[in-house]
Amino acid sequence: MSIKIHIHATHRRFTNGQEAVAVEGNTVGECLNHLIQQYPGMEKAIFSKKDKLHNVIEVYLNHASAHPNELAKPVKDGDEIHLIVMLAGG
Amino acid sequence: MLTPDELNRYDRQIMIEEIGLEGQEKLKKARVAVAGAGGLGSPIALYLTAAGIGTIRLIDHDRVSLSNLNRQILHHEEDVGGKKVNSARTKLKNLNRRVEIEAIDQTITETNICQLVEGCDAIVDAMDNLPTRYVLNRCAIEKKIPFFHGAVRGFEGRAMTILPGKSACLGCLYRGPIAEEKFPVIGVTPAVIGSIQATEVIKYLLGIGQLLTNRLLMYDGLEALFTEFTVNRNPDCEHCGSLAG
Repeated sequence: MSIKIHIHATHRRFTNGQEAVAVEGNTVGECLNHLIQQYPGMEKAIFSKKDKLHNVIEVYLNHASAHPNELAKPVKDGDEIHLIVMLAGG
Repeated sequence: MLTPDELNRYDRQIMIEEIGLEGQEKLKKARVAVAGAGGLGSPIALYLTAAGIGTIRLIDHDRVSLSNLNRQILHHEEDVGGKKVNSARTKLKNLNRRVEIEAIDQTITETNICQLVEGCDAIVDAMDNLPTRYVLNRCAIEKKIPFFHGAVRGFEGRAMTILPGKSACLGCLYRGPIAEEKFPVIGVTPAVIGSIQATEVIKYLLGIGQLLTNRLLMYDGLEALFTEFTVNRNPDCEHCGSLAG
């Protein structure tokens, strides 16, 4: 079972420049935890505290918004997760 | 009714099958609010003016500074220190004197926004911060005025079109407040996103094409990549959750 997490450009310094990381898990939350096990620097980049994503982090599962309750969303083999940083400028 | 001068001016776009004479007349009758006369507001207002939108209501409270000029192409060196709505109005009238430019020098707030956009057929998001975007979004939902979202940072941008009660709104994506920042940006990014927003407005006014409803379009200028994500209405959305679909 493998899920691909696409890493936002601003976070790639925490993943040795990798644009995508293969993870395992049954939910989005488990997949993000597996990502952090591999790249601990990602924890502060996406979580403000345990099980609470930063408000600027958006999660898309198979190109669809996983909000709300994104961490609990189930995933299956071959799914893709995008971690996106919200934009506010104009 | 289009004048001979207008028929000549808009000849190339009247030639577009989806526009034609009828479409051009629709654009002439439209009134569009552009909230912000900065990086996004510049290309949005310029292209809507060039396209022959009848009335553009441009809202901004700010003054032009030198550091604006890398991206806010409505303002030139001679405008530094002056009100953005004044320099914007001058440029837009020079481009197309037949378009009415309603320049409103006011700060957008929760209490004045619905009055500021009264009578408009569309509201375009050209803000530089999220809190005011949510003010615009809430008003658009309340007044049932289509809302055209755009945002940028660095080489990245995004756009989404919101038809109140019919498609996902900014509130459907709301995850809580975020800290304001002095955001990095290069002018070509709002040029791309603002042009997409202006395209969406024109499509909506003419009733043509496929709008970016329930579709968040992400642009990555560094990778030269557009990516689309689906955003569905959130039934618990504080802004639009109570509206029937």
